[in-house]
Amino acid sequence: MRCKDPIIVVKDLYVYFYTYAGIVQAINSVSLEICRGETYCLVGETGCGKSVTSKALTRLIKPPGRIEKGEIYYYPEPGKKIDIRKLSEEELRELRGYEISYIFQDPSTSLDPLYTLGYQVAETMAFHKVVHNIKDGIRKAVVVLKNAMMPDAETRVKAYPHELSGGLKQRGAIGISLANQPRLLIADEPTTALDVTIQAQIMDFLRKLKEKEGLTLLLITHNMGLVAEMCDTVAVMYAGEIVEEAPVEILFKNPMHPYTKGLLKAVPVHVGKKVTLQSIPGTVPNLIFPPPGCRFHPRCSYKFDPCDKKRPPMIEVEENHKVACWLYEKKG
Amino acid sequence: MATRAASEVYKKKLLDRFSDALIDSIAGFMNKIRPGWKVRNQARVDEWKLMFYAFNRSPLGIAGAILVLAFLLLAIIGPWVAPLSYDTSLALCNQQAYLAPPKTTVTIPGGCEALGVKPGNYTLYLGGDSFGRDLGSRMLFGARTSFVVMIFVLLVGPWIGIGLGLISGYFGGSTDELIMRTTDIFLVFPGLILAIAFSAVLPSRISGFLASHHYVSLFFLHLFSLKIQHEGSLASLLSVIIALWIVWWPGYARLVRGMVLSEKENTYVEAARALGIPSRSILVRHIMPNISGPILVYLSLDSGGVILTEAGLSFLGVGAVPPIADWGRIIYDGSQYFPNAWWLIFFPGLAIFLTVLGFNLLGDVLRDVLDPRTRRSIEFKLKKEIEVGEEQ
Repeated sequence: MRCKDPIIVVKDLYVYFYTYAGIVQAINSVSLEICRGETYCLVGETGCGKSVTSKALTRLIKPPGRIEKGEIYYYPEPGKKIDIRKLSEEELRELRGYEISYIFQDPSTSLDPLYTLGYQVAETMAFHKVVHNIKDGIRKAVVVLKNAMMPDAETRVKAYPHELSGGLKQRGAIGISLANQPRLLIADEPTTALDVTIQAQIMDFLRKLKEKEGLTLLLITHNMGLVAEMCDTVAVMYAGEIVEEAPVEILFKNPMHPYTKGLLKAVPVHVGKKVTLQSIPGTVPNLIFPPPGCRFHPRCSYKFDPCDKKRPPMIEVEENHKVACWLYEKKG
Repeated sequence: MATRAASEVYKKKLLDRFSDALIDSIAGFMNKIRPGWKVRNQARVDEWKLMFYAFNRSPLGIAGAILVLAFLLLAIIGPWVAPLSYDTSLALCNQQAYLAPPKTTVTIPGGCEALGVKPGNYTLYLGGDSFGRDLGSRMLFGARTSFVVMIFVLLVGPWIGIGLGLISGYFGGSTDELIMRTTDIFLVFPGLILAIAFSAVLPSRISGFLASHHYVSLFFLHLFSLKIQHEGSLASLLSVIIALWIVWWPGYARLVRGMVLSEKENTYVEAARALGIPSRSILVRHIMPNISGPILVYLSLDSGGVILTEAGLSFLGVGAVPPIADWGRIIYDGSQYFPNAWWLIFFPGLAIFLTVLGFNLLGDVLRDVLDPRTRRSIEFKLKKEIEVGEEQ
């Protein structure tokens, strides 16, 4: 156990998608633990299963996807354990948006174009019985949006999504997610669709919010700069598996998994002399027929004997630093 | 440049001023019952105005709207302005009215009060039928019959389909399979044949129901503007309505399912799920309003279809029974006197044709106007026109 007081614990999670082409093994034995109050980052390239993992946390996986196996526990308070996989659809609905909330990547599509921002904030509050009805909710929405750093919130409450810029929309979406003061906020690439200055503002806001409200943040991103700036703990995902997990300083100082090393080398350095960016050869494997053994071995330059036969176990190489690679298997 | 309201950019035509005035008065009314409405919904009001500008620039759309409005007007006030009732047989008093050609003036002597006709001269502008009934008056009553049938069919039939389509598209899986295969079964039969079958079977049950529920039959008698002694004929009209409900939903179920399938992939639906909004609310509050444009167009196109099918059923003898005035029935009854008494077929046929044409034109143009993508291109064209106009 990494944390004394975890908020979410996932053990040995498998998520498969049953498509016409075959069974996509999107998540393969993922285990993770998020401590209360920390910022936990999931990084990895597109299609590696970051979003699917985050959606599985509240069983938002839609058919043809299915959670095959694994345990998901949510701790609303220390010591109080809720088994997410055993909850009914109705109990889950009460949990979503109230205790665990999401922010999505593209704010221009995550808001319903036909309703005002105020209405959409009010709707989630009304359904979770934070307010009596939509009308009360719209009145309260001003405060909520003000908390989400929305400038001129009084008039923005009445604005339709098409009347707002991308940054304002994302602030609105964050406002909706935070309306019920959730304990865990899952931000799925919240700034990918925004430009850099607004990225910085939103990230700054999320950090302040964390300090003020004591909320736990699960940040999903492929931006290593953001990881270094925001996170406490980082998990690197590759092809549906977590390959390395470590506190952020350790990961950047001492990356161990060949994939993590490659990922860090592919980050542009803005100062200093020009260095050619390195890329990892090859592409993400087809998850219908994943490579046997370590899923990274076809692209790995350190590949040796057991890599293509047996799946490497998670090895704790130093305190809190875990890596799934045969290179670090203790000899003897 | 200061931003101008979109409504100020275009050169207005007379119709635009009219539609502006209409929308402004609606907005003013809303503002009165809910203070502050106008400020909150300014964007929506501007959008409505733009829709009307685009509509006003389409001659076909205006033609369709005129035809539809004329039909609605005649259907509503027709029975009150008709010079004679639908069952007044002038031929009983004056043989001249028998198959009288258009514009015949028939003189009714005294002593015919039992028919409900005062003595005097009556001009049958559209001619008379084999009972000496005024074709023009009967067609006005017939408009009411078509209108009421259309309204009742569209109030229920499509909504069964829309509801099933929403459920089927959103939940998917076995629910989807069950609903869509049932829909397929209904689609296998040609709609008209199925409707004939149902409207042949239903009347006896309905007349039983009407006999025990007198207020229901009174309500429909007034709607169809029928005389109380024709209460027995009501069952056949109601059975047409119910038969059309049964055959009218499968098309909508398919249409709506398809739209829901594409709409539910939008992130806002997923976001709503992630925020714990119940499925029912997602369907009713988020998906349904977002697909309402195409549904509206389809309803408008379908109004003509209902009228046509209803006339077709009557023509085939399973719809309205004599002496109820119904366009299809008039053609059916008149067909045996064709081509000598051509007016018995020509005028009701023309009425059906123009009404259906009107609804189709209106629906087509509504599709262009309600779809933002095509509307933008119309607006773009408008802007071009104005720029050219300003350069000159």
